[in-house]
Amino acid sequence: MLKEKGQLRFEDKWTYMRPIVLKLINQEPVSPSEWQELFYDVHLVCLWDEKGPQKLRDYLHKDIILFIKQAQTKVLAQRQEEALLKAYIVEWRKFFTQCNYLPTPFRQLESSLQGKTTAGSSSIQGSNIKKGQNDESIVRKLMLDSWNESIFMDIKMRLQDSAMKLIHAERNGEAFDSQLVIGVRESYVNLCSNPEDHLQIYRENFEAAYIESTEMFYKLKAPEYLAENGVQAYMKFADQKLKEEESRAQKYLEVGSNGVIQCCVNVLVGQPLPVLLAECAPLIKAGETDRLQLMFRLLERVPEGVQPILKELENHIVQSGLADMVAAADVITQDSEKYVERLLDLFRKFSKSVHEAFSDDPRFLTARDKAFKTVVNDTKVFSLELNTGRITGTKSVAPESKCPELLANYCDMLLRRTPLSKRLTTEEIETKLKDVLLVLKYVSNKDVFMRYHKAHLTRRLILDASADSEKEEDMVEWLREVGMPADYVNKLARMFQDIKVSEDLNTQFRASTARHDAINIKILNAGAWARGSERVTVSLPVELEDYIPDVEEFYKKKHSGRKLQWYHHMSNGTITFATNGGKFDLDVTTFQMAVLFAWNQRPHDKITYENLRLATELPDGELRRTLWSLVAFPKLKRQLLLFSPTQTNPKDFTEHTIFWVNQDFALIKNGKPQRRGKVNLIGRLQLSTERSQMEDNQSIVQLRILRTQEAIIKIMKMRKKITNAALQSELVDILKNMFLPSKKMIKEQLEWLIEHKYMKRDDDDINTFIYIA
Amino acid sequence: MDENENDRREVSQEKMFTLKKWNPVAMWSWDVECDTCAICRVQVMDACLRCQAESKKDLYGKQDCVVVWGECNHSFHYCCMSLWVKQNNRCPLCQQEWSIQRMGK
Repeated sequence: MLKEKGQLRFEDKWTYMRPIVLKLINQEPVSPSEWQELFYDVHLVCLWDEKGPQKLRDYLHKDIILFIKQAQTKVLAQRQEEALLKAYIVEWRKFFTQCNYLPTPFRQLESSLQGKTTAGSSSIQGSNIKKGQNDESIVRKLMLDSWNESIFMDIKMRLQDSAMKLIHAERNGEAFDSQLVIGVRESYVNLCSNPEDHLQIYRENFEAAYIESTEMFYKLKAPEYLAENGVQAYMKFADQKLKEEESRAQKYLEVGSNGVIQCCVNVLVGQPLPVLLAECAPLIKAGETDRLQLMFRLLERVPEGVQPILKELENHIVQSGLADMVAAADVITQDSEKYVERLLDLFRKFSKSVHEAFSDDPRFLTARDKAFKTVVNDTKVFSLELNTGRITGTKSVAPESKCPELLANYCDMLLRRTPLSKRLTTEEIETKLKDVLLVLKYVSNKDVFMRYHKAHLTRRLILDASADSEKEEDMVEWLREVGMPADYVNKLARMFQDIKVSEDLNTQFRASTARHDAINIKILNAGAWARGSERVTVSLPVELEDYIPDVEEFYKKKHSGRKLQWYHHMSNGTITFATNGGKFDLDVTTFQMAVLFAWNQRPHDKITYENLRLATELPDGELRRTLWSLVAFPKLKRQLLLFSPTQTNPKDFTEHTIFWVNQDFALIKNGKPQRRGKVNLIGRLQLSTERSQMEDNQSIVQLRILRTQEAIIKIMKMRKKITNAALQSELVDILKNMFLPSKKMIKEQLEWLIEHKYMKRDDDDINTFIYIA
Repeated sequence: MDENENDRREVSQEKMFTLKKWNPVAMWSWDVECDTCAICRVQVMDACLRCQAESKKDLYGKQDCVVVWGECNHSFHYCCMSLWVKQNNRCPLCQQEWSIQRMGK
């Protein structure tokens, strides 16, 4: 064998090898023995002829080129686009298949060419295995490069053009064999022998051409369509085309080629953006959810496209919401049920359209919420004057929305025994209460709601007027759940507990004595219920006065260290009124009782205002109010008391105005006087006098000031040093569940705290505060 | 018509207005001179700070956190005072020796 070294020449062997190689290139059948022969020969040549590998490579190259030339002729012979593509693809596929076979026998050649620098064959073997992939093989690269240089470069423009023409035709609605374009694209991808970036040739040529032709197509088409068919049709057109292009790109382009869609979006949406945006407002106004959905889909594709619709939506909700409120002002300022229902209708309407048109996209929900807040807290229709009653110069308080008051009223109607709550099922009431909580979420002065809610709850508990005590306690928990401040909610919970304690006490009291069937005491914890100062004096009729010592005696036995204060403006009862026409049960306040019982000694007398005042000892305002409720009770056709001279306002009673009992009093039903019946004259149980109402408002303002100071200190203690802006935002965050602190109030409290050395301004930066321990 | 006459007779015999039911309302509070506990600075009508913290959300109805009066007539939360006297057996307000005059119930 050694002797033969030098004698074995490449040229000798090539004559045997070449026919097999040619068969392989031309995809003709090769027998197993020929296949094996080729392996052996390659091996020999590489091993024994020093120049063998180089030569082998060159000869192989020549034959490949030869084959490619033949193929080129075949392809170029085609004039017609489709035929050209078809021919190219056929040739290419054939060639590409060979790219996978031909390199195999030449592995040894590759080892030799690559391994020139490496020593042992075993290490070559090893590195080959490591590389192992035939797309890195030299022969394959040789084949692909040859194809690229000799055929592809010459006809790639024609190929691209033809492919693009086909796609253009498809865009115009003509059908063709999509495999042609796909085939071309595949050749672009597979042709690339650059191991770093397989898609280089594809991207630089095919994709670029695709994008360019797409852009050209729509640049012409889009404005034309818009001009001819108008915006609304255009929106549909653009949406449809974008979808088409997306699926077309999926078909004809490699995965990850996003350039073309970007380009389509730019031409179809970006260019006519002003026209599209101008259409938003009318669509929102008309509530065309389908079209808006379309619009949203389109605008979402361009940066900053959604922003303008958000703005439009917010504007629209605010404007139409407020317009709606203003239009219904007469009704809703009087009727909290109608107000809340109307507000909820509005909410539902807009929430629905946000859902339908914008699929509850978080950005739109935020815009909706912002708008709701504006509507709810608006003060145009009605405002709540938190007037403190005294002129405090700079400390005047901006008016606030009356919404929380009306919400609380509505809650009361649902929780009290009212025609409304009787009409509704438990589930309906629950839903409506949840609705209230929903609106409450948007209210910025929640502390006002809590104040009214507590007042209503007080009335319900004292009058035993709750429709459903379970629901009452549920409501407290729901308020807790929606994040109302814990101390507010705890106070409510405490009232429920306290009323139960009082009930037990009443049971014990009634068991202790036999003669008190008519009395039902409530002795409550002043800490949970009352605002100390607001008691009203009254001289009780003997019928009532008699009970007081017994109750106090009993209470003293049960408890020590406690003092009792009677809250007669809250107490109430039932009396029977016997007239010429029948007998009637009247639910009355203790004040009304005091006034009416004045006639028991002299049933037919006319009594002056002054004498009633002396008899009852009621303060002037209370007496006027009480009398008015007896001479002009809105629900009664025949009033209890008559008076003279006629007045239209309780303020106009003089001390000489005379009052007498209407002996012909009767309840009227269906136009006929009844002989028996029951009527409630309590109306809205009065919890506070005018004076304490003012104190109430003052206390709410005062409480806000304290809360603000407290929150500032809390933040300062934590942060030690903080900028004004950061402080403000943290402050709002802490307080938002109670009220929205005004800039002015924050500033005033900051100044106050600085003045009192709780904190100071930074010497270097007046907008930074430093905590002083 | 008989009935009508009956009614008439009733009217003349009975008072015009008769009480059927009365629901008087009263508020109780500790009979103290100062309504804030000097030890915890919470109003004596509310539970002391410690009790508030311990039973945050549970029953306020039962007034477990009662008030205590000393011989000096100063009053505090019982809880607060019982902790105070462990360190200093004097009234925090007047420095007199502390002895309980009475307890709230």
